Amino acid sequence: MTIMKNFSRKQFLKTAVGAAMVLVSKAFSTPVQAAEKFFREPAWKRKKPYWGYAIDINKCIGCARCVDACKTENEVPREAFYFRTWVERYILRRSGEVNVDSPNGGLDGYLPPADPETVTKSFFVPKICNHCEHAPCVQVCPVGATFLSEDGVVLVDKKYCIGCRYCIQACPYGSRFFNPITHTADKCTLCYHRIKKGLKTACVEVCPTGARMFGDLSDPKSAISKFYETENTQVLKPNLGTQCKVVYKGLDKEVR
Amino acid sequence: MDMAIIEMLRGALGKVSGFIYPNELELQWSVLIVLYPYITGLVAGAFVLASLERVFDVKAIKPIYRLSLLVALAFLLVAPLPLNVHLGHPERGIEIFMTPHTSSAMAMFGFVYLWYLMVVLLMEVWLDYRKEIVEWSISEKFWPKRVFYKILTLGVTNISPRSLEIDDKLGRILTIVGLPSALLLHGYVGFIFGSIKANPWWSTPLMPVIFIFSAMASGIAGVMLVYMLACWARNVKIDMPCLDTIGKFLLTAIILAFSLEMLESLQTVYEAEEHFDIISLLVEGKLFVSMILIQIIMGSLTPIFLLGTVQMVELPEKARKIFYALSGTLALIGILAMRWNVVIGGQFFSKSFLGFTTYKMELAGREGLLSAIGLGILPLFILAALLYLLPPWEKTKETI
Amino acid sequence: MKDVQHLIRVVIIFAVALVGFLSVRSLLVPKSFGKLGHYRADSVDEFAAQPRHYAGAEACKKCHAQQVADKAKSSHRGINCESCHGALLGHVENPKSDNKPRRPKETEMRAFCGHCHERTISKPAKYPQINLKEHNPDAPCNMCHQPHQPK
Repeated sequence: MTIMKNFSRKQFLKTAVGAAMVLVSKAFSTPVQAAEKFFREPAWKRKKPYWGYAIDINKCIGCARCVDACKTENEVPREAFYFRTWVERYILRRSGEVNVDSPNGGLDGYLPPADPETVTKSFFVPKICNHCEHAPCVQVCPVGATFLSEDGVVLVDKKYCIGCRYCIQACPYGSRFFNPITHTADKCTLCYHRIKKGLKTACVEVCPTGARMFGDLSDPKSAISKFYETENTQVLKPNLGTQCKVVYKGLDKEVR
Repeated sequence: MDMAIIEMLRGALGKVSGFIYPNELELQWSVLIVLYPYITGLVAGAFVLASLERVFDVKAIKPIYRLSLLVALAFLLVAPLPLNVHLGHPERGIEIFMTPHTSSAMAMFGFVYLWYLMVVLLMEVWLDYRKEIVEWSISEKFWPKRVFYKILTLGVTNISPRSLEIDDKLGRILTIVGLPSALLLHGYVGFIFGSIKANPWWSTPLMPVIFIFSAMASGIAGVMLVYMLACWARNVKIDMPCLDTIGKFLLTAIILAFSLEMLESLQTVYEAEEHFDIISLLVEGKLFVSMILIQIIMGSLTPIFLLGTVQMVELPEKARKIFYALSGTLALIGILAMRWNVVIGGQFFSKSFLGFTTYKMELAGREGLLSAIGLGILPLFILAALLYLLPPWEKTKETI
Repeated sequence: MKDVQHLIRVVIIFAVALVGFLSVRSLLVPKSFGKLGHYRADSVDEFAAQPRHYAGAEACKKCHAQQVADKAKSSHRGINCESCHGALLGHVENPKSDNKPRRPKETEMRAFCGHCHERTISKPAKYPQINLKEHNPDAPCNMCHQPHQPK
């Protein structure tokens, strides 16, 4: 028994020293490894095709043709609270006040702002599902009804969705709604039925100013790849780490 | 198309204040989802109370050991109902068991629930009652009841001292396993909310912990009230040492839950992140009554004061009973308000942090008030049935 | 052994329940589930098969070459036909169908063009805009500006 005890004490010391040494060596080697880990190869370098989307705030005129086209193309209920895409108007005032509106998603047009002399800046921000690489909606779906497709599009299987609405809660961007006809979660499909046939999404098709743009990120020569690589872009709520694939050019700090 | 909902939402358009993303008009999780964590909490709390006797050998609460288990079972049977009724496709609810998505807290519900119901609670009740079940299966005069007991014996009538000893040991092991399971069951309910990073009102690692402690408070209060009511109904004297002990545990649970809630609030106020303005507007406005008045003042501070008084001042039995009944009721209301504030409160403000939507509870309808009340009292009927079939009193009479 | 018989029966019940669950599961889970990831792979094809409403700019060229060519030389060159004329797949598939291209009436013209060209504080400054109330308030736009060759 005593031999056993001594042995284990010795063993314990050995193990402790060993563990300490491993920890010390780790402490020195970790920064290098961390730097390597920070580099993450985007999915579009590996998969073909891989869809991306871009919005140029400086080109959007708030005509809401995109909102209208989306509702038509995807048969979205024509109510003022169901949108796969919508356009917000931001009005920034000298006082620091920020007014945002999106009457019927932009379809009803925007009333001229009150007290225009106090307005310092105003612009439109089209919104759409960001097709996040790390989509919180996909993460929380209990049954695997919503998923990130092989080509980078977040979709909802309306034949499998149980309608628990957890994904709607999890989306930080308000991009999802509960469809009153199918009784399932609903959202932008990036016009999957169009892009698969080589067509543009309905919103990009009708955008008169080229404020909306979409394409294959896996093709280095595509316009979207160029846009991603050469423009100064920003995503919405980057702090949430969702890795949006809708990037914005000219995004103001007030935009939520 | 669901025209009633559409009409309701059209009406709600005018009641939006500030800016919300257009899709946020509809409040997705109704009063039924308020009920769900409430009921699950009662289960976990009642079970924790039961395990105090079994695992930690708190002798004083022996009279309510079985009662707590039956309360837990009655509420657990109802727990998934509000969830399922709320689904857009209730008939597809089974998919949670068929293809559970392992990264989803909600999918894990199926497994934690099944584990807890089947393995822990049913087994524990069965093992504890087996001796009586065997006896009743012979002595019971009313034949349907006798058949029921016969089935429950699983055809084994052996109640030798050795077999009962084994049952008791196994029961103890199950309680020890059950304790973390109960905490897991309710902790995970907290995690459903706490893990939603899109919503700062929910997203905090403290959420599961707060849920666990408030669950304990609600479960203990619930069992306490059921015990008092049952004694009154059966015209039996309340076991005062038992009630006093439950009172102590209730006080502890409420203090812990309340302190954690306040810590969480302090952190929010102190860090004052981007969402702070909208949160303070929420608390001062739409949640003022349900949070400041009902949850904090009425549901937490008052019971703490009442139960604290019982600890500090020597009160006559009658006064103590009144204090316990009052604080138990207030705590139950306060915790229901807390669930409301979390679930509904967290959906009032836009994720743009620039405005609020509204919630108008339906009266009738699938997700209406009546349906919620129905699901809320259904466990009491189940409990009554359980008390009829498996009366928990016999054993205590013998021992006392 | 005799004293644990009741427990053995419980174990059997659990085992039967587990087998039952697994067999029900194998029946109920859709065939294509899990093929590509944790979802029904067939649903991707179902998405691809969704009916369209917008034909896409290429489809217009076949019959309306002149208009397309005119527009290509104008400042409206970046705008696709369906942006103004509406969703026209039905028209492309059957030009005689009820799906007619949208052509605003003279009375609606100012509001229609105004959708894009009405001056507001929110539009990019360089974008061509007019004040609808001041800019020849009574004239329809196409009196001076041809939409396919605007000046």
